[in-house]
Amino acid sequence: MSYISVDHLCKTFTVRKKREKGALLREKEMVHALKDVSFEIEKGELVGYIGPNGAGKSTTVKILSGILVPESGSVTVGGMTPWTDRKAHVRRIGVVFGQRSQLWWDVPLLDSYSLLRDIYRVAETDYRKRLGELTEALQLEDLLRTPLRLLSLGQRMRAELCGSLLHSPELLFLDEPTIGLDAVSKLALRDFLLWENREKGTTILLTTHDMEDIAALCPRVMVIGHGEKLYDGGLQEMLSKYDTKRTVQVEEHRNIDHVIADMYKDLGI
Amino acid sequence: METQYRGAVLGGLICQVFFGIVLIAIYRALYAGKPQEIPLSHVTTYVWLQQAFFRMLLATDPELQDKIRTGAIAYDLCRPLHLYSYYYARIMAQKLTGSVLRALPMLVFAALLPEGWGLCLPASVPALLLSVLGLILGLFCVSALENITMAFTMRTLDPRGMQGMLNLLMMTLSGNILPLTLFPDSWQRVITLLPYAQLLDTPIRLYTGEHAVSRAPEALLIQISWTILLIIIGCAFWRTNQRKLVIQGG
Repeated sequence: MSYISVDHLCKTFTVRKKREKGALLREKEMVHALKDVSFEIEKGELVGYIGPNGAGKSTTVKILSGILVPESGSVTVGGMTPWTDRKAHVRRIGVVFGQRSQLWWDVPLLDSYSLLRDIYRVAETDYRKRLGELTEALQLEDLLRTPLRLLSLGQRMRAELCGSLLHSPELLFLDEPTIGLDAVSKLALRDFLLWENREKGTTILLTTHDMEDIAALCPRVMVIGHGEKLYDGGLQEMLSKYDTKRTVQVEEHRNIDHVIADMYKDLGI
Repeated sequence: METQYRGAVLGGLICQVFFGIVLIAIYRALYAGKPQEIPLSHVTTYVWLQQAFFRMLLATDPELQDKIRTGAIAYDLCRPLHLYSYYYARIMAQKLTGSVLRALPMLVFAALLPEGWGLCLPASVPALLLSVLGLILGLFCVSALENITMAFTMRTLDPRGMQGMLNLLMMTLSGNILPLTLFPDSWQRVITLLPYAQLLDTPIRLYTGEHAVSRAPEALLIQISWTILLIIIGCAFWRTNQRKLVIQGG
């Protein structure tokens, strides 16, 4: 049996919209966020989950995390149903929602992390070792005593990622982790995720609009649109299927993120 | 958060002291015109104790408002926590830290004020101990009460409605604006049974001796009963919430 098994998942939201005529009453509209979505993910995979805005990506992640309850369909993660065995399930996963912050705003990072350590009941020695590993990989050593509100976005994202991995989860959900990051931070984050996946065998589900992220990290990609799964397979196969027009350039430029990163290094910033 | 922003604590302190002095001036004027049954020193003590522990009274958590609005509350659901207990502990911690930081300097100041303006000594040592116990129980009670409004806030998204109502009820019925001891007797009999009065009115009366030590078990039992009832109601609300929660946005 696969590690993550999603079967005929359906989720509908009720949205109250303003009527065209008459301002007092509002009409109810059913938004079918997920229509019969099914897929399987094995342990240790690094999967990309893409689709246009409003396709249902975040809804899937929320259901897999156990936050939302679907109307129908079944989900098992490591043998457990996320929303019924919420506490046991949530202990083994890490989540990063790109546009929301999980760490405490006013206090230094170290305080946030030690609170997370208590919440997840991580043993002191394990915690110290893990914190050392993560701060080194994410270059957070100098920032540990700074309150979150004083950090830049790139630093904040790295801090969030560290926070979500402190309890060494076997599964990591990343929802737009590189949004708003500069080239250097993006590359550092990608390298870190690859390391985490290879060294620790952490299963990672990455939701993003940044195709460079997908290209750098995910050998397998799932495409979702209007609540339906439209493609599930290798990234290369997808590209060769849809990449019909190719212009062969004599001068080949490197990946533009690498170019920018080198430029910053050169300028000493 | 309370310990991070020292300036805010100092500002709050000055504000409460100012309120205390103004309120006492008003009651002194009242007593000059029409003396009441309760001795003036009891009233001034009542006012100072109310002001010192003011932070325990009100429901204010700006961080939570933002969390609910942006949906960062989703993270709380991603933690292996019993949500009700987590928020209960959080509410209590905010009230406790905020109060202790402000109460100690304020009570020292009030104790140094002249007779008829400041804090009087407790009726007896047992009275003092019982009033501390009453304060602790009152804290549990009011935190349970606020946790219920928190459950409503999860559903309504905007905390101003329910919290505003709770704050209004607390301010009036806990004796903050007008000491409950000055209310008409018939009113007092009803109000002192409500949960709002359990936070400060009960411990203050134990301190000044209004509630004789012999009456203490009765008073403390009312506090405990309300606390248990409010916790049960709060847990039920939170459980329903979790099932129906919808995190908005992508």
